[in-house]
Amino acid sequence: MRILKLAVLSVALAALATPQFAAAQQKTYKIGAAVYGLKGEFMQLWVNALKDHPAVRDGTVKLTVFDGKYDALTQNNQFDTMVTQKFDGILFVPIDIQAGAEAVEKAAAAKIPVVGSNTRVNSAKLASYVGSDDAVAGEMEAESVIKAIGGKGNVVIIEGPIGQSAQIERRKGNQAALAKYKDVKVLEMKTANWSRAESLSLMENWLTAHSGKINGIIGQNDEMALGAIEAVKAKGLVPKAIPTAGIDGVSDAIKAVKAGDMVSILQDAQGQAQGGLDVLLRQIEGPSYKPRAALWTDYASAGLNWGDGTAKQYNVPWTPITTQNADALLAKRAK
Amino acid sequence: MNPHPTMTAASTGAAAPAARLRWRHLLADYGIVLAFIVLCIALSVADENFLSWGNWVNILRQTSINGILAIGMTYVILTKGIDLSVGSLLAVSGIVAASLVTGETAHTPMLGIAAGLAVGAALGAVNGGLIAGLSVAPFVVTLGMLSVARGLTFIYNDGMPIAALSPGFRSIGQGMAAGIPVPVIILAATFFVFWFVLKYTTFGRAVYAVGGNEKSAKTSGINTARVTFFVYVISGALSALAGLILAARTTSALPQAGVAYELDAIAAVVIGGTSLSGGVGTLTGTLVGALIIGVINNGLDLLGVSSYYQQVIKGAIIVAAVLLDVSRKKQA
Repeated sequence: MRILKLAVLSVALAALATPQFAAAQQKTYKIGAAVYGLKGEFMQLWVNALKDHPAVRDGTVKLTVFDGKYDALTQNNQFDTMVTQKFDGILFVPIDIQAGAEAVEKAAAAKIPVVGSNTRVNSAKLASYVGSDDAVAGEMEAESVIKAIGGKGNVVIIEGPIGQSAQIERRKGNQAALAKYKDVKVLEMKTANWSRAESLSLMENWLTAHSGKINGIIGQNDEMALGAIEAVKAKGLVPKAIPTAGIDGVSDAIKAVKAGDMVSILQDAQGQAQGGLDVLLRQIEGPSYKPRAALWTDYASAGLNWGDGTAKQYNVPWTPITTQNADALLAKRAK
Repeated sequence: MNPHPTMTAASTGAAAPAARLRWRHLLADYGIVLAFIVLCIALSVADENFLSWGNWVNILRQTSINGILAIGMTYVILTKGIDLSVGSLLAVSGIVAASLVTGETAHTPMLGIAAGLAVGAALGAVNGGLIAGLSVAPFVVTLGMLSVARGLTFIYNDGMPIAALSPGFRSIGQGMAAGIPVPVIILAATFFVFWFVLKYTTFGRAVYAVGGNEKSAKTSGINTARVTFFVYVISGALSALAGLILAARTTSALPQAGVAYELDAIAAVVIGGTSLSGGVGTLTGTLVGALIIGVINNGLDLLGVSSYYQQVIKGAIIVAAVLLDVSRKKQA
């Protein structure tokens, strides 16, 4: 044990002694990314994009990713760790809109700025939030299904886990669109917990219960829309016959859009992650910081504006996935 | 030997309680089949679609994955063990198999299937080795494996799903043969093989003996460690089989597939009348147990009942099944 410590120490000393290390006058920042969980594809994309931020790649930011394991308490404990280890800033993707507030306050009390990304947290102490408005996506997807069925007919809605903010907001959006069309009836509305397998069974049962009556399918995420499509296929129907929509733009969904089986709306994980880090670094470094992520130029025409980097909220726009942009989106992920 | 002492009093006055006892006996032995039939009748009255062939294709297909897991789980529970790792083994086997049958470099489906089954059996063997060889409690070993195998699943493809599975492989989950879905045929074949093994082979009798009374099983010359080892290998391999079907059904192996599936598998076994204290139970009961869970989920979807109630009803049935089990033991 002692030998090991000695070895570590000597390596560290040697590193300090090397000229480029000593000469590195540029300040480095210790940033923690506390995400709700690393099991879904979306969060994987988010983390990979964050690691790809220019500031992380050139070593300005020393990034530590904390996996919240879908548990509010775990995330809370990770905040304690970051506070005691004196992190310079925290990028926060909370599991729960309410439970995260206390953690944010703890960090703020220790003068560590916290910037939210992807999911919201109800706290005035949050320095800023970079995310996409789920209600907008919910409205867009419902709108596209309703248009595809000609403004009248029966639809079913497959919901996310009841009570999660994305489910609540996307439902709001779904209903806002449906309210505009009196001839569209919602036959069923039930949760499949973001799961493809659960949605597959649910849709099979609905196709039996309402044989020939379901004209459109609104899935509150891609996984569930994909499960529904499998059920439609298993029933011997062509997916095109029942227009289906999802949200997020996971890779399988992009492929399904390419095949003409569904429509989906891309939630820009890269924009949310890299934009969040820019805003956080602005908080730490002050007005001299210049944003380095691509989203500020990519979405400039869509109304996203860096300003002086201190806005309370930045809305990253949604991008409908089309047969035209599908290949480019997939290629971006492959690298 | 007369198990019902009151029946010796052959007077007219004792006839009523005797009949009642016989009823109770019947209820304990076939209660679960009866419950299943009552449930089906109720649902067919409530919804005209319930009895349609198409709907039964759905129910059977939806039951196939849990049914296969529950077959392995029955073997494990008969030896007084438990396997909490089935959901994770399902996921890791599915993703390994999928990686071999995806995209342009897809190998023959047989290779994917063989690799998936091998991974499941191998990890099951680790479970079995630790439990039988080192006498670590099954709960602890398989709880550990639940976590380890899930982690391996995420490591294997960096947390990303594997899609674009070859059509040959997908047919395991999506194909039909003679109007019957392939997963249902796989479930039926698996059931028959393991039912036969349990009922008519020395290994099958040894499984009961190990769970019934391990000491006397040992003295009567049964290699209890070997039996214990192999039930976990079986459970691992069947988890893998279920994983292959799930990946083929959803056209993609997802690393988060099968989370909490162990609970439904254990529920099917318990509802089917297998005792958690080992040595008592049948595979037929397990199959009925799995069907009951499938029918409840399907029926309540047809009726448009909220999934919250589905959970409540499923839980109540599990407890009721155990109560039946307790009342049966009291009689014996």
